[in-house]
Amino acid sequence: MVEKSNNKRQRVERVPEFFINDHHDVLVEILRRLDGPSLCAAACVCRLWSAVARNDSIWEELCFRQMSPRPSLSLRSVVSALGGYRCLYFLCIRPVLARLPKLLWSRDQLQLSLSLYCVHYYERLYVGAWIGDAPPSSLMFLRKPVNVV
Amino acid sequence: MKRGHVETWDPPPQPPSGSGPSMADNKSKMAADDSNMDELLAVLGYKVRSSEMAEVAQKLEQLEMVLSNDDVGSTVLNDTVHYNPSDLSSWVESMLSELNNPASSDLDQTRICEDSDLRAIPGLSAFPAEGEVVDEEASSKRIRLGPVGSWCDAAGESTRSMVLVDSQETGVRLVHALVACAEAIQQEDHNLADALVKRVGTLAVSQAGAMGKVATYFAQALTRRIYRAYMTTETDFSGGSAVGPSFEEVLQMHFYESCPYLKFAHFTVNQAILEAVTTARRVHVIDLGLNQGMQWPALMQALAVRPGGPPSFRLTGIGPPQTENSDSLQQLGWKLAQFAQAVGVEFEFKGLAAETLSDLEPGMFETRPESETLVVNSVFELHRLLARSGSIEKLLATVKAVKPSIVTVVEQEANHNGIVFLDRFNEALHYYSSLFDSLEDSYSLPSQDRVMSEVYLGRQILNVVAAEGSDRVERHETLSQWKTRMGSAGFAPVPLGSSAFKQASMLLSLFAGGDGYRVEENDGCLMLGWQTRPLITTSAWKLGGAAVEMTR
Repeated sequence: MVEKSNNKRQRVERVPEFFINDHHDVLVEILRRLDGPSLCAAACVCRLWSAVARNDSIWEELCFRQMSPRPSLSLRSVVSALGGYRCLYFLCIRPVLARLPKLLWSRDQLQLSLSLYCVHYYERLYVGAWIGDAPPSSLMFLRKPVNVV
Repeated sequence: MKRGHVETWDPPPQPPSGSGPSMADNKSKMAADDSNMDELLAVLGYKVRSSEMAEVAQKLEQLEMVLSNDDVGSTVLNDTVHYNPSDLSSWVESMLSELNNPASSDLDQTRICEDSDLRAIPGLSAFPAEGEVVDEEASSKRIRLGPVGSWCDAAGESTRSMVLVDSQETGVRLVHALVACAEAIQQEDHNLADALVKRVGTLAVSQAGAMGKVATYFAQALTRRIYRAYMTTETDFSGGSAVGPSFEEVLQMHFYESCPYLKFAHFTVNQAILEAVTTARRVHVIDLGLNQGMQWPALMQALAVRPGGPPSFRLTGIGPPQTENSDSLQQLGWKLAQFAQAVGVEFEFKGLAAETLSDLEPGMFETRPESETLVVNSVFELHRLLARSGSIEKLLATVKAVKPSIVTVVEQEANHNGIVFLDRFNEALHYYSSLFDSLEDSYSLPSQDRVMSEVYLGRQILNVVAAEGSDRVERHETLSQWKTRMGSAGFAPVPLGSSAFKQASMLLSLFAGGDGYRVEENDGCLMLGWQTRPLITTSAWKLGGAAVEMTR
């Protein structure tokens, strides 16, 4: 885990002061290298960091870190249209990883997560009202507790 | 000797002739008052003295407990010949002694139900429990088992996945009563059937869990079947058009949410389609049953991100005839179009309303064979056409005429189309028991999704059991039967690839109760099942014959 630079002031005259909060791009680069729980913790530090952590490229990196080869760039526009990588991570990838911690991420597993994400998006926008104002529940099975023996 | 609940079963109007009475009759008779037993049994042809009554009853109880716990039980029951009907006591004794001797060597006390060790038994699902055989006092109603936890595990792994959850006795009697009622209907004995179905209802209420629910639905269906014989006007058993197609779609939506069967179907079919259209620039999909179109967003997304860019996607969806104030097909097309625009796929939609799929003609689809790759998709639609002869052949001929590159078919894996009612009933009982069992494990608390899914399945049960003729549309057939049909219509199988298998496996492992679901590959087709019972099958087909040119 990368050590976060903080706001401690160095009381040395000659060294120019460096506040990480002034350099959002550096902050983004640092956050991109965090794992899931750390990233969520970082997003709770302050309002600025919370806003920066919404940068989707951070979550994209988190989603695809274990994958090789990396998926194509055309995926980015599709996922953005469906709600972004952050939502994808929270709705699909994190529960999957929680349920199957030893999962080897390959194209098939990614495709399945994306399919589930699509279904959720479609249901939320287009099917929800028709089924009687129930919230979309196609992904409920990911959230229900599992008896892990 | 009296059982917990008082039997209200009336004796049959005349003694049954020919073969001996079923075990259900015996047991129910045993529960009546002691003073009446002799007369009742005499009606059946058994001469048992009142003084011997206690002993005979005790032996029958032992026999029942043993049979419910012993996997050799039903073979013994079938093999043991009953020579002298007046000597009930020694007949039961002979069965008990036969069970004693092989039982002690067969029962392995240490194993917990390996599926492969159990023989497939038509009828009961039985599983060996630890060790207890016959030396029970008459007062012990339940078999003393090992730790309850292990028994519950064993209960979950029966070959025929009928779960005896709480009370073994009630479960076994429930099944017996259901089968006896179906037999009575088969033999057109409606009085007996009526009495038995009421008994089933009483027993089902006291049985918790999946078995109770299944029994309730089957009892309702049987009641409808019995009373249909007394009614002059046909009521509607189709389960669909009575309340309008939209209710059926709502139910199927809940079924989609609560268990993986439809998701499995959609994702495996999508994978097969993706593999078939890898180089196509224009893709045209004909969906024989559009419902809510839940299958297509995922396919469009996968097409959008494929290397080389997305093809243009054209969807022809077929749905039931529209009522005046709704045009749900067009609205659905509009929703899908919006989704397609979001993911960046060129989209075209056409909705076709057809009362039945055999009304379709090749010209209706307006295919453009020189430029587009055609896909035909059917999820749980083909079996409905078996209700009218000639329909399925006509549809398959229509499909063949439009020259698709791939035809994907998802069907239930069961034979609910047999000619003999009793066989259909037994098959359906096992099938829907498995389904309800799998639903039971998914959620710890009942939710609206699960309840509606059960209603959805209950309507299917009603149709399979109570309807006849062209009303009976849930005519499921097994993969081998469909293979024959598709083969004779001129289609050749396309094996589903390993990607589909991997996605399916991952999907199932995400569902709670995931270790109960099984994906199997069967000769290129994928089967999803619960425990050892396959429940639905995905298969893919192409036009057979080397002379057929694949249009790409």
